[in-house]
Amino acid sequence: MRLTSTNKVIWLLMKYKLQVSVGGIALLLWSAFLIANPRLFLTSYTYSALMSVIPVTIILSLSMTFIVALGEIDLSFPSVMAFSSWVFSVMWIATRNDILALIGCLLSGSLAGFLNGLLVVHARIPSFLATIGTMFFWRGVVMVITEGWTISLAGTVGKVVHTALVGRIPLILKEGIPAQMIWAVVLAVICWFLLNRHVYGAHVLVIGDNAEAARVMGVNVGRTKILAFLQMGLFAAFAGLISSLEILTFWPTMGEIYLLLAIAAVVLGGTPFTGGAGSIFGSFLGSCILGTIETGILGIGLTGFWVKLLYGMIIIISLIFQVILKRPKK
Amino acid sequence: MLVKLKFRVLKTIRVMKEKYLAEMRNIWKSFGTVIALRGVDFCVRHNEIVGLVGDNGAGKSTLIKILSGVFPPDKGEIYINGNKIDIKNYSARKARELGIETVFQEKAIAENQTLWRNVFMGREIRSRFGFLKVKQMKQETEKLLKRIGLTSSAISSDLTTAKTLSGGEKQGLAIARALYFKANLIILDEPTIGLSLVETEKVLEFVGKIKEEGKSCIFITHNIYQVYPVADRFVILDRGKVVGEYYKKDLTLEELIEKLRMIAIGG
Repeated sequence: MRLTSTNKVIWLLMKYKLQVSVGGIALLLWSAFLIANPRLFLTSYTYSALMSVIPVTIILSLSMTFIVALGEIDLSFPSVMAFSSWVFSVMWIATRNDILALIGCLLSGSLAGFLNGLLVVHARIPSFLATIGTMFFWRGVVMVITEGWTISLAGTVGKVVHTALVGRIPLILKEGIPAQMIWAVVLAVICWFLLNRHVYGAHVLVIGDNAEAARVMGVNVGRTKILAFLQMGLFAAFAGLISSLEILTFWPTMGEIYLLLAIAAVVLGGTPFTGGAGSIFGSFLGSCILGTIETGILGIGLTGFWVKLLYGMIIIISLIFQVILKRPKK
Repeated sequence: MLVKLKFRVLKTIRVMKEKYLAEMRNIWKSFGTVIALRGVDFCVRHNEIVGLVGDNGAGKSTLIKILSGVFPPDKGEIYINGNKIDIKNYSARKARELGIETVFQEKAIAENQTLWRNVFMGREIRSRFGFLKVKQMKQETEKLLKRIGLTSSAISSDLTTAKTLSGGEKQGLAIARALYFKANLIILDEPTIGLSLVETEKVLEFVGKIKEEGKSCIFITHNIYQVYPVADRFVILDRGKVVGEYYKKDLTLEELIEKLRMIAIGG
């Protein structure tokens, strides 16, 4: 069958219908905000501010996409964010070497993720339960050690890691583009290739779809799962570091708001909880949608109490959309 | 290059000289107090379709799982291409390396994945650093689908997910995959169970393709009617023993069924 250009457009729309619909929702929401408060949504400061906050959700949801596509879940990443940021803070204060502290931070996150993987694969504990355990464990570790105190990271300003992670790049916007947004985009591209064009992603998808078939066909199921949890830990550490460097403070309860936000972004982006499929682009957009709602609601003059109501509505509506789109044609 | 080719030809000739592609001698297996196999002899020749027939619990699946390395026999010997298999080091992976591929109904296909992802599941064509050669895999899949006769305007290697295939077509996809990866012996475990007449015919067509390609096949079924059209030979298993072995050229379907009836009554 030869594809004409019109056919090709329809074909592409069919193949990416989920992504297109999420994009539609994003566009709709943004236009609504723009019409309601053009002054706020036409100033560059708004976008600079959004781009300093949203990347944390984006980075978390990117690696969560792999976990959900595997048919698993990780609830411990907010605690891992706090734990590895604490590792960064302590190492920074002890050595005043930010690069060393960064390495320590990423290693501790990966280690925590690896531990989750071991619990799921080798101890055979369902990931929902295993990561509830590690969620409390890492949070507890941080709480016990810090006794609830915050740590100032003001001294990192001007150092390599601070500039590279949360500096402002003097481009396009008057206030500059937050470096974390660039990181989010770069990581999204990398994750897209990993999921769609790499053996790792191919194995994630077939395991999430039919783990037994994957095993019979020679896929190393355990190793792939451990790798995905390790990736989640690594990304959580990175996102946590951005979060604490942005406000120059480590605080022991950090990350908690991201638990449902990141998972909701993945679901909103069209990655089904049944596993076997995943959309990096969807998770990216989903994070942007959820990240913009708060600003948008305050911008159009409603109180912050409306934020969660709107979160709920958008998630429910988009899930209904997805069910309809996925229904097989009669 | 030439030397390599010569070597391969010589190897093929040597292999073809062996009478049996796979041979099992005096296989015993018990699970706890239940004896599943009682000294079974079983063989498959080159380019032969064997119908392994028997009721539920006759030991068909056990026999085949031993041959494909899923679990070891308590006693007995296995020969592949005339070489004795070291039972202790035999595994499903080893069996696959030796060209024995089993197609289990539920464990063959990842439903939500596209056809090319299913064909290359676990054996992806990769470039350096593990990146996938997607274009090549799609092309190979298209060629493969044509080769096995799984073609229709509605099927594309890239767009179609496996769940949109019919039951027979799914079996076809798994058979095509086995042929692509150079399996010499394809074992089909009840491939027609739960399929309609038309779908069963499709599966039989795919089995015919195995023969056309010069490979062998073991077709496990409890329904003699389904395997009769394609099989060259029938091995009847009953309560862990081979109770009959017949060539299709020697008797008609009616005669075969009469024999089966006698076995059922006598046993």
